[in-house]
Amino acid sequence: MVGNKAVAYGAKLARVQVISAYPITPQTTIVQYLAEFIANGEMKAHFIEVESELSAMVAVQGASFAGARVFTATSGPGLFFMHHPMMEGADLPVVMGVVHRSNKSMQPDHTDLMAQRDNGWIQLYCENNQEALDTALMSYKIAEDPRLSTPTVFGIDGYILSYTAEPVEVPDQEMVDEWLPPLKAPWAPDIHLPVQEWKKRQGRMYGSQKAWLEHDTKFRSSLGVIREVNAGFEKTFGRSYGNGLIEEHNCEGADAVITAMGTIASTARVVVDDLRSEGKNVGLIKLKCYRPFPVDEIRGLAKKYHAIGVIDRNISLGGGGNVLNETRSAIYDIAERPKVLGFHTGMSGDEVTPQMIRRIAEKTLKSVSEPVPTAVEWVGGA
Amino acid sequence: MQTLLTTVSTLPEIILIEIRFHGRGGQGAVTASRVLAIAAFLEGHHSQSIPMYGTERRGAPVTAFVRIGEKSRMIRSLVHEPDYVVVLDPLLRNTVNITEGLKPGGTIIINSASPPEEIEFTSEYKVATVDATKVALETIGRPITNTAILGAFAKGTGEVKLESLIEAVKTEMSGRMADTNIKAVEKAYNSTIVGKNRVVKELKKVALPPANSRADWRTFRPIVDPAKCTGCQICWTFCPEHSINMMERKSTIDYIYCKGCGVCAEECPTKAITMVMESEKKEG
Amino acid sequence: MSKPTPFQRVEGEEIMALGNSSCQGCGHATLARITFKVLGKNTVYTSVPGCIWIALQGSIPLYWRGTVFEGGGALISGIANGLEAVGKEMIVVGFYGDGGTADIGLQAMSAAAERNENVLWICADNEAYMNTGGQRSGLTPIYASTTTTPVASESRGKKSNKKNVPFIMAAHNIPYVATASIAYPNDLIGKLQYAKELKGFKYIHVQSPCPTGWGFDPARTIKVARLMVESGIWPLYEVTGGNNFKLTYKPRELKPVKEALILQGRFRHLDDSEYEYIQGQAVERWRQLLNVDGKKLPL
Repeated sequence: MVGNKAVAYGAKLARVQVISAYPITPQTTIVQYLAEFIANGEMKAHFIEVESELSAMVAVQGASFAGARVFTATSGPGLFFMHHPMMEGADLPVVMGVVHRSNKSMQPDHTDLMAQRDNGWIQLYCENNQEALDTALMSYKIAEDPRLSTPTVFGIDGYILSYTAEPVEVPDQEMVDEWLPPLKAPWAPDIHLPVQEWKKRQGRMYGSQKAWLEHDTKFRSSLGVIREVNAGFEKTFGRSYGNGLIEEHNCEGADAVITAMGTIASTARVVVDDLRSEGKNVGLIKLKCYRPFPVDEIRGLAKKYHAIGVIDRNISLGGGGNVLNETRSAIYDIAERPKVLGFHTGMSGDEVTPQMIRRIAEKTLKSVSEPVPTAVEWVGGA
Repeated sequence: MQTLLTTVSTLPEIILIEIRFHGRGGQGAVTASRVLAIAAFLEGHHSQSIPMYGTERRGAPVTAFVRIGEKSRMIRSLVHEPDYVVVLDPLLRNTVNITEGLKPGGTIIINSASPPEEIEFTSEYKVATVDATKVALETIGRPITNTAILGAFAKGTGEVKLESLIEAVKTEMSGRMADTNIKAVEKAYNSTIVGKNRVVKELKKVALPPANSRADWRTFRPIVDPAKCTGCQICWTFCPEHSINMMERKSTIDYIYCKGCGVCAEECPTKAITMVMESEKKEG
Repeated sequence: MSKPTPFQRVEGEEIMALGNSSCQGCGHATLARITFKVLGKNTVYTSVPGCIWIALQGSIPLYWRGTVFEGGGALISGIANGLEAVGKEMIVVGFYGDGGTADIGLQAMSAAAERNENVLWICADNEAYMNTGGQRSGLTPIYASTTTTPVASESRGKKSNKKNVPFIMAAHNIPYVATASIAYPNDLIGKLQYAKELKGFKYIHVQSPCPTGWGFDPARTIKVARLMVESGIWPLYEVTGGNNFKLTYKPRELKPVKEALILQGRFRHLDDSEYEYIQGQAVERWRQLLNVDGKKLPL
């Protein structure tokens, strides 16, 4: 099945109760699939047919506040339009699928979701259609964890996954039901609960600087929950994605590693495997979780490898690659820190070929033993 | 260091003074702070007029700050240890700790009909009193005490000249409004009494109203004449504060929550409710 | 059709807590007090930024959620659907100002009305952005002086007419549209009670004068509101069943608009021709409304 269908199946298996979304390419077919599921009785859910992405986000937040399990999906420009309510309602376990779309074309890069990095939403990135379905399910388990109640968004690369078909194993509904019980929403209005008691259950953090600190502390604690959920998912369904935050692929004994997100990781796996067979000691780190940033994991890499080549399919204009900057920042105070090289590639959906990844990996490996230019390099996109 | 030494020899009179205003929304505390800052500027000083950030509600307690002095001494924060405290409303003393952070021996300019010796604080301060509400009603015709209290500030502190205040009023207001406000400044200046407060071990315990009490929002209080009240419940229906109760079929006002808007008196078909000026003694 | 009811006949407890933070004489406080007593405790209410959220929210002890300024229509829709999905029957009411209704909120509100969501929308109309210091909104009337339409040598106040939102909403063919005024509590209560029993999107647009922003003595809030109705500037009516129009207050003769406007500082500058324009507008609107009174609107 195609990536968008895998996402729709994820929402269906999660027994989502309220869906609201607005059409935008390349997300559109996700909600079309869901509308079909509802129309033919396969799925029981309210579908709020809103007039904009902003309303889609606010509507699912309203439904989540009322105690329902919710889902929405969008792409690039629609995601930008959701920015305001995403910022506002960061206390509700809304789950959203983003089909990445660049701000400069309809093709994917990660700049759309990274523009939402400061919102207090957990951000997970997927590399194939199976992972899209599995991550949809895991997103509910993470978002609705009573310790968190934190919105979660997962991304799939537009076109490359959204419309590409590949085999996907659809988990058994009964197994999902057992693993993901109905949402408990202590914050929901409840006439049997005095308003004063109900008020104490509200998760919204508002007010002084202290509220930011509390929010940040709680948000960072989600890293542990994501690891737990990933491990639990493996136990039940037999699949997992690294430790939930990052995955080390063919890294044993490596001198250098490259990091990649989303579909680039698939290509990079093949390239790294080829390089290893050629005796070149370079491994792959797939970064699945970008928010919160898995600082401990990145620091762990810094202690094991001599060079890290960071591939950013995104840019903070005037600031550079987001993952590069955060990687460097995470390891700065480690005395024996590795070299960190930056690369932009695949922007606006430009082709990312094995040859390009190979160049990146070889340059990173080379930096271990000899000086290389440290300026950030744009690879491809001629 | 060199620059500091050179400035020392040519120091202006004021290096830095800080002033805190206490008032209620609608009395013009923020305007008062601006007029004073302008007056200081006209005298050649640098100055800041700082309203307390937040939404201002008519009737709600508000604070504003003024900083006067050398440009090089201007920090960017609220005033936490004022040299002077200016109080636009006589009743605020009951609910707001107006001497908080006031430097020892600092000066309090307060709107009160009482002379300084009758004003009680736990430490000794220089105190200047003026019945600014009376002055405002006589000159402006409304109990907006901001300009009157500035006249008292000039008299009580000597930090700014009366003439500068008048000029400053002219920059902020025009026409009849400027004329009446200048009269208020002058009249207050001339009727301000400067002295020292009565020092008491502890302030008389005013039974503190609940935190959400709106009693100190009032300038006028509604008084119900039970003989004229027919119990029609019109005032009860319209009261925005829900602070009118019907007892034995007569309207009774809950003065803890009444904001003194006067809707009840205006709407009463038998004119059974009259609005009476709050007096600080009665409230005490 | 709604049936006027005096406030003392409304059963149940007062919901508004004592000691709200709205300005002296604020019409919204009266409106909120009446509304929530009529709706009762089984109510989830929502607001968007404005006087209601900032000044009143803390004094309305009900289940509550606020959202972004532009999101009112989506929020009530989401909550109504969510409650239905989890099997809870509660009243969902949006309590929004003129900006959250007619300007930034219009798109989402219109969409919610078009979907006929089961909610009650109350527009508490004080005719400008009062919470931010009185800037003009789409519901500010013509010639009114506001902080963004100040009167000066080159300006006579707001240049354009007030948007007719009740008729825009009526054009959505929803079960109930009404106008009301805080000066007519019996009429307002009747309309709230009627709307409470209906399924689908209900819209009540309440004029609520603002002493601070309109520039009048807080004691005169009700008086000003009443004169706005008596002069025909703010007619009271309802549209039931999608298109049945009915005036709910019909004075034999309209008072001159000047009687209402002269009390308001925002109209202090009006000259004779401007009074005449507003007067002409009020009379003509009233004539048209009388024509359709008791009839079906061609919607």
